[in-house]
Parts: sequence; structure tokens; C-alpha cells
Amino acid sequence: MPDTADFLRLEKLQVHFPIQGGLFDRVLGRPAGTVRAVDGIDLDVGRGEIVALVGESGSGKTTVGRVITKLAHPTGGRLLFEGHDMTSERGASALRPYRHRVQMIFQDAYQALNPRHTVFDIVAEPLRSLRLVKNDTQLAERVSEALASAGLNPPGDFFARFPHELSGGQRQRVVIAGALAVRPELIVADEPVSMLDVSIRSQILQVLVDLRDKHNMALLFITHDLPLAWLIADRIAVLYLGRLVEIGRADDITFNPRHPYTVALSNATPKVRVGVSHIDLPALEGEVPSAARIPKGCRFHPRCPMAIDRCRQEDPPAVEVGPQHMSACWRAGEVKARSELLGVARSSSVEPLERRLVSSLVKDRCRSSISAEAGVPDLPDPIRGP
Amino acid sequence: MSESTVQSLSRGRTRALKNFLRQFLGHGGAQLGLLCLVLFLVMAAVPNILVGPLQTAINATGDFLASPSSQHLLGTDEVGRDVLNLVVHGARISLTIALLATVISLIVGTTVGMTAGYFGRWVDDWLMRLTDFFFVMPSFVLALVITPVVLEVMGRGGEILGFRPSLFVIIVVIGMTSWAFVARIVRSQTLSLRERTFIDRARVAGSSNLSIMVRHILPNLVPQIAANGALVVAGAIYVETSLSFLGLGDPLQPSWGTLLSLAQSAGAASAGAWWYLGAPGLCVLTVSLSFVLIGNALDDTFNPRRRVIP
Amino acid sequence: MTGSLQDKASLLEVDGLSVEYRLNGLSLRAIDDVSFALRAGEAIGLVGESGSGKTTTAMAIAGLLSPNARVSSGEVRYRGERLPIDDDAAMRPHRWSETSVVFQGAMNALNPVHRIIKQIAEPCRLKLGMSRGGATARARELLELVGIPADRGFAYPHELSGGMRQRVMIAMALACRPSIVIGDEPTTALDVIIQAQILKLLGELRSQLNLAVILITHDLSVVAEACDRVMIMYAGRIVEDGTVAEIFAQPKHPYTKLLIDSIPNPANGKKMIRPIPGDPPNLVNRPSGCAFHPRCPSAIGICATEFPSLDEFGQGRVACHLHRSSQEDKVAAHA
Repeated sequence: MPDTADFLRLEKLQVHFPIQGGLFDRVLGRPAGTVRAVDGIDLDVGRGEIVALVGESGSGKTTVGRVITKLAHPTGGRLLFEGHDMTSERGASALRPYRHRVQMIFQDAYQALNPRHTVFDIVAEPLRSLRLVKNDTQLAERVSEALASAGLNPPGDFFARFPHELSGGQRQRVVIAGALAVRPELIVADEPVSMLDVSIRSQILQVLVDLRDKHNMALLFITHDLPLAWLIADRIAVLYLGRLVEIGRADDITFNPRHPYTVALSNATPKVRVGVSHIDLPALEGEVPSAARIPKGCRFHPRCPMAIDRCRQEDPPAVEVGPQHMSACWRAGEVKARSELLGVARSSSVEPLERRLVSSLVKDRCRSSISAEAGVPDLPDPIRGP
Repeated sequence: MSESTVQSLSRGRTRALKNFLRQFLGHGGAQLGLLCLVLFLVMAAVPNILVGPLQTAINATGDFLASPSSQHLLGTDEVGRDVLNLVVHGARISLTIALLATVISLIVGTTVGMTAGYFGRWVDDWLMRLTDFFFVMPSFVLALVITPVVLEVMGRGGEILGFRPSLFVIIVVIGMTSWAFVARIVRSQTLSLRERTFIDRARVAGSSNLSIMVRHILPNLVPQIAANGALVVAGAIYVETSLSFLGLGDPLQPSWGTLLSLAQSAGAASAGAWWYLGAPGLCVLTVSLSFVLIGNALDDTFNPRRRVIP
Repeated sequence: MTGSLQDKASLLEVDGLSVEYRLNGLSLRAIDDVSFALRAGEAIGLVGESGSGKTTTAMAIAGLLSPNARVSSGEVRYRGERLPIDDDAAMRPHRWSETSVVFQGAMNALNPVHRIIKQIAEPCRLKLGMSRGGATARARELLELVGIPADRGFAYPHELSGGMRQRVMIAMALACRPSIVIGDEPTTALDVIIQAQILKLLGELRSQLNLAVILITHDLSVVAEACDRVMIMYAGRIVEDGTVAEIFAQPKHPYTKLLIDSIPNPANGKKMIRPIPGDPPNLVNRPSGCAFHPRCPSAIGICATEFPSLDEFGQGRVACHLHRSSQEDKVAAHA
């Protein structure tokens, strides 16, 4: 691990939301239960490092981002920034120095821009609120600079525009400019390109990568897309049901995953394969259980094709499986073999019979999985309530 | 900020405003409502030029309860005053009461509703219980209770903030009883705005709660406040009329409601003096209708999507 | 199911289809001269960005154009017969029983106050004239078909997860035994693992029922996974059409190339972001000539003035001046 302890560190971070019970529950004082959105996460981000947080919806990846940007408050664990404990800091004025250095980019740029503010006001807002400029000339300079580095040129043309007058890509650039305006050291980007057209995505990614290269800005990139994470990140952290299941260098996670969930995620990702015919890998069955009813033992065991008795009883700790590579799986050592097996099954050189054996083996394991868990209702978003 | 920046920013705002006005003025209901309203505003602004000074029993010129004629276009009342003269002078009182009461109601309602919706939890609980209290309070009872007290303290001849006490009481009573409606609407709108991502963005940008409420939530509430404000005016005119009709008005500054009350007690209905009851009644109806029309037009302009839903 | 009687002849033919929208007095051409054929049991992916006309094309085929849209030229033929695609009432017998649609937002398309089994049984009753009991039995059968235990049918839509709701949508689309299913971004709102499950389900249903599928998506890799053929659309026109294997191995149109390059592909091992310059085209003032030329890295003089026709090229079709079928044209263009 690089010496990252002095920048951003999450220690056993925990965000539990109480479930609001009905009137009767409240009157009778019945406990309605908790949603364990984030359930003990350790993560370091180094200066100038790009870390991707990958997971499905309900994995808690967005909540982690909101804790770091102080939009959600942890119920346990610590958030350390340059060694300072930021866990319980609250209030706009107390957080001003922190906000100056940690900013956020949102997924839906249309929602993230106040429809009644002009682009200038939007980008100027953090500069004004954090009192980073002395006069209006300086303000206009900083706004221009931010718009230009987000790729909106010439900046002056955009000052007076309203969000609805911009294209989707331009809106996302305005959101980025708003975050850049204060020259932060860490940006949390929550699915910044998932709502954009394919041809615009790469442009926005380029802007983000340039920021790191030019200003040594660290980036926590939250996404559901493993190949995208591989493309942009130095390290990838894979989340499942509020827990980190695997973390390591982008190449290691992509080519040498050591957790069955990462393997499943990677198999499920649609791929552009050149010159290879379609070979159906067994899709992982079932769906992510609700964060209010987390399975006992390893939380992935009901869907895991490799689950053994131990997985049903004991929660596996994260263990080192390689340089800078941690996996929380009792059978992490065997995952490698298995993923190789699957990898072999994918290439056309394997005998059809063997291929069938592999896939039926995995299928059987899948079948013994969670038909009970399938189709759990969507819970209300834990942050926003019902 | 450089000169050109300021210019281009104001250009953006002007463009948005122009767009809004064009849409709003193109609305048929808005045209009719505005036309009526302008008519009554002129009446309220310069009654002396239109119909001469307010007639009293002393300077009355006509017969008792004379029907409309070329001399008295809307006939006369039971002491011989010209009804047209009374109605035009009544417009000022009625509109003043209604508009001031609406201002009070909007300010209180918006503040309470926005605070409750934004902070939520116990703030919301307590403010909404308070709102419920005012929501169910009948304006008549409140007026009946407050008026004697205020009159006792001030005396009939005194003035409060430039208003005669009975007028002041009516304004305050209407304001107090109508804000709860505004607060409910503003709160529900704030609850949904609070969840929007741009509020999160403002928080990450370091804006304080007050600044988020004033700069982000309030501007997005303007459509609701404006559209419902017009409806509150219409309601206020009715309440004012009813209160005055019950005799809580000021006989020295007759509003339309006072006129109706006078007509009633003079037995206009049984005497067949339709003009005496009809003229102020029609005014009340027209003004509240025009405010309702304007309110609906504002709502349509701000919410073009709503038109799709029948 | 009846498609198996047909030989490999076209099930659906779209011929020179153009659709315009009237908007505030403006007339916007959403699709322009779109032609293609769909065979029984075939899966076509319609790929493009927002405003490329992919959704308009599909909605025109299903006769679901919005009231302000007008078919300005061309026609759609189903089993050789012309479809009255701009007449909602005349399309009604055809829709759902021959062509059905799976929409993106499953939550909006389901009525929240009815149990899902009732919502699936309803079209069976209305369209196929089944009895109440027969329709319910059919609904249970359909639920099993899309991998939902029939007993879950008594749930309300909000009690189901996103993936389950999308399965219900598919069951409803299959209720009247159509031969074509149009999927309008059916997996866009879903997680990757659920997306894989739904795509797999669609593939299985296709071979079981000999369904033809038109998959509308912005995601090329989904098409690579689930389709036989791809059509790339840009600014209302088809710019390239070919088999999945061909297009991903050897894309011809520069736009297709750039799109494929912009998909992160660890298998290639090259970590490089290749942005496509410029913004997606604006339908109000479409660029002259080839609509892609302002963003095209290999544009030549003729691209700005003359629109390239969609010509046969190898196995597929491509609309690009750099890939004219006759060599003379190419030489002439360079000269």
C-alpha cells in the first residue's frame, strides 16, 4: 500500500439508517429495524490517485461518496482527512475549509443545476460561499478559468445561459466547472458519465483525467461499470451490500479477480468481442438482497457459486491476496483458479464437452442459491427516506 | 465583475422575463383577468376624479332608493347617496384590505412552510401543528374576538399604522387565517425541492442553510406562491365582504362588503332595489374572478406540463 | 411462432421511411429515408445517441408515433402488407398481437393499484377473447416463461424489484404471441448482473418462440451480446448496417469506429481514452452533406457538401464517401 494515510482515509465506516415504522410501531415503541447501507468500510485514497468504487445499486457506493462530501453522516467509524477527524464536523461554516478541498460531481447534471440560476451564478456559488475571492473581477476570472478547464470555450459565451439552454454534455461540464472553481484536492464523482451520450462520455472522462495529470487532483470515481473503472482508475474497490469485497490495482481486479462477486460482475458486463462467437457464461442468479436483511455469514453466500458451509456461518475478513490486493473471501485462493477456468471456457480452444461441464457445474451452484431472496422489494432510498 | 459580464448576465435575465411575459400575456384568461383588474385599480387609485368625493348622508344628492337614471347611473341608497359613487370609493378599501392581507398571508405562510419543509423533523412537526391550528380557526370568530379588544384599546377614532382600527383588525384577521393554506402548499413544494440534487450541490459548495433557502428554494417556489397568491386575494376579498356584511366593517370607510351590509339592513332586497345589492355584489364577483383567472394563467405559464393532464 | 412457417423471407420491411415532428411551427425531420428488412427470428440492434432517430424508427414500426409526428414518405410492410402506421385505430389489431413493445421505465408502464397477474391477463382477455379463467392460466404460464414463480403474480408492482418488473413487462409483451418484440432500452435502468439475466432471457425466448427482436439501445456492447445485426444511426439516418461480427471486427464508418473505440475494453489491454470531438448534431440545423462531417477525423471535401448514400458494401451497408462501392467515385472524390 502506498503511504496514503495522510490524505483521505475511511476507517470502519458505517452508515445505518433507521427504518421509519408505522404509527403503531412508533406508539408501541417497537424497533422497526435498520438499513445497513454502509457496513464497515476501510478505504484509503492517496493524493493524486484515482480510485474507482464499483458496485450495483444498493451496494452503498453512493452513500460512501455522500459521507466523504459530508452530505450523509456516518453512524460509526471515522472519516479522516489529512489525519484530521472529520467524522462529526457539521454546519456550513465549520466545514468551509474542508469543502474548499473536497468537491463533488453528480450523476444527473440536469438535476444538479438550479434551473433558475445562470451558469455564472452556478459556478460562482462555491467561490462566494467559501469566500475565496476578494472582488468581482477576481470572481469573473476564476469562473472563466473553471469553465475553460471543464472544456467550455469561450467561457464568456456561457455566463448568461440557463441550464435548459445547454446540451447534456455541456451541463455536465458546468457541474464539473462548479467543482473545479475552488481548486479542490479531491473530487468525488458519482457516476459522472452514466447519463451522457456515448460520444460525450470520453470527452468528460478526458477532462477528469486531465485534472489529475495537471493539478494532481485525487478522484473517487463511483460507477457500476467495471471496464470503465479499469479505464480510468489506478485502483478499484468492489462493493457488495455495504461491504468492500475486493480492492486492488485496476489491472489486478480486471484480469485477476480474487472474489467470486467480482468475477460475476465482470462476466455479466456485456463485452465487445472481436472474432469470438457468443458463449453464454452462466449469469449470476437472483438479486441483491435488501440492506435491511443482510444474510448471515458472508453476505454474498446465497448467490455465490463457490459457497461452502463456512461462508454461511462466518463473515470473511479482508485478507491480502497479492501486492496491494485484498479480498474478503474464505476461498480467495481458489477464485483465481476458477476465474481462469471461466476464462478458458470463454476461449474457443476448449473442448465443447469440457466447456459444458464447467458451465453446468457453475449453474448447479447458482441454482442452489437464493430463489428465496429473488424479488425482494425495492427499499426506499436509505438516504432520502420513503 | 467586468462590465461585459454584468451586461451579458442581465441580458439572460431579461430574455427569460420577456419569454415569460409573452407566454403569460398570450393566455386568454390572463388577458380578461388583467383587463378587469386594471379597471378596478384605476377606480381604486383615482375615485375622486371619476365620481367626485365620497358622498355622505350630509352631502347626498338624490332621492331615497331611486332606481338608476341618467343622473344616478346605479341609482341611490336609502339616504340618497349615489351608489356608483359608493361602489367606486369602496373599491379602494376592498382592494387595500385584500392585497395587504394577502401580503401578510404570503410572507407568514412562505416563511413557516419553507422552514418546516426544509428542516423537517421536530421543526416540521411543531410548525405544522401551529399551521393546523390556524387552518381550522374560523375568521369570523377570530374577528369577533379581536375587534372589541382593539377598539377598546385604541378607541374608534385612533389609527394604527395609518389604518382605522376596524380596517386594521380586518386586515390582520384575514392575514392570520389565510396563511395556513399558503404554508401547506409551500411546505409540500419545499419537501420535494429539498430532495433535488442541486440542493446537495449547494451544500457541497459550502452554502449555509439560510442561503440555500433564499437562493435555491425560494426562487423555485415563486410559481406556486404567485399562482396561489392570486387565489388568496380572491379568498380575502370574499372574507372581507363577509366580515363587513356581518357588521365588522367601518361604516365611515365603506367597502363593498359594508355596502352590502347597509343594503341588507335597509331592506333593499324586499324593496326591489336590485341596484343597491347588485352593484357591490357584482364588483366582488368580478374582482375575485379576475384574480382566479390570473392565478390559473400564472400556474399554466409556470407549469406548461400541467396542461397535458386534463 | 407462426414465423416458422415462413422461409427466410423478410417479416418486416421498412422502405424509405421519413418522419417529421411539428414543434412550435418548426418541422423537424427525426428520421430520413430509413430502409431495412427484418427476418423472422432475427435480432437487430438499433444503436444511436439521443436524437439519432432510433426510438422514432421503432415507434413508427409499432404505430406509436406521437400526435405531432407525421410520416412524410415511405412505408412499412409486414409480411408483404402495408401497415397503416400513422393511423392509431387501424394499427390496433396489429399492435401487441403481431408487434409488441417493451419500454424502458417498467414502473411507469405498470398500474400501481393492480396485481401484476391481472395486468398480464387483461390483454389476453381483450385481444385474444379468452375467458377470465383462461386468461389467468395464460398469465401464470407467461410468468413462468419469463422466470417468475407464478405465485409472485399476486404481488403489486411496487413489491417487485426493477429486474422483476422488467420481466413482467416482457411477459405482457408476449401475451398475444407476437412475432416481433421491440425493446426500447429495456435494460438501461438495470444493474449489470440483472441486465445479463434479462438479455439471457430475451435470447432464450427468441429461440423458443422464434421471435424477431429490435433492440433499441445506446450501448454497443449490449448489442454485441444480444443481436445478430447492428444498425448504427446518426442524425436520423442509418450510417452503417451489418452483422455484429463484421461491424465489431471491421467497422467501416468513422462514427462506428469511434464509438467502438470509446467503449473501454480491457481485453484489448490499451488504456486510452479516445474522445469523439464535438457535440451530437442538432436536428434544427443539421450540418450540410454528411451530418457527421464536423466531427469526423477523416472528412474530405465532398463530405461537407454531398450526402453519402447508404450503399451495399461487402455484407452490409455503409453511408460514407470513403467507402463508395465503385472505385471511380472514390477516386473522383479525392481528385
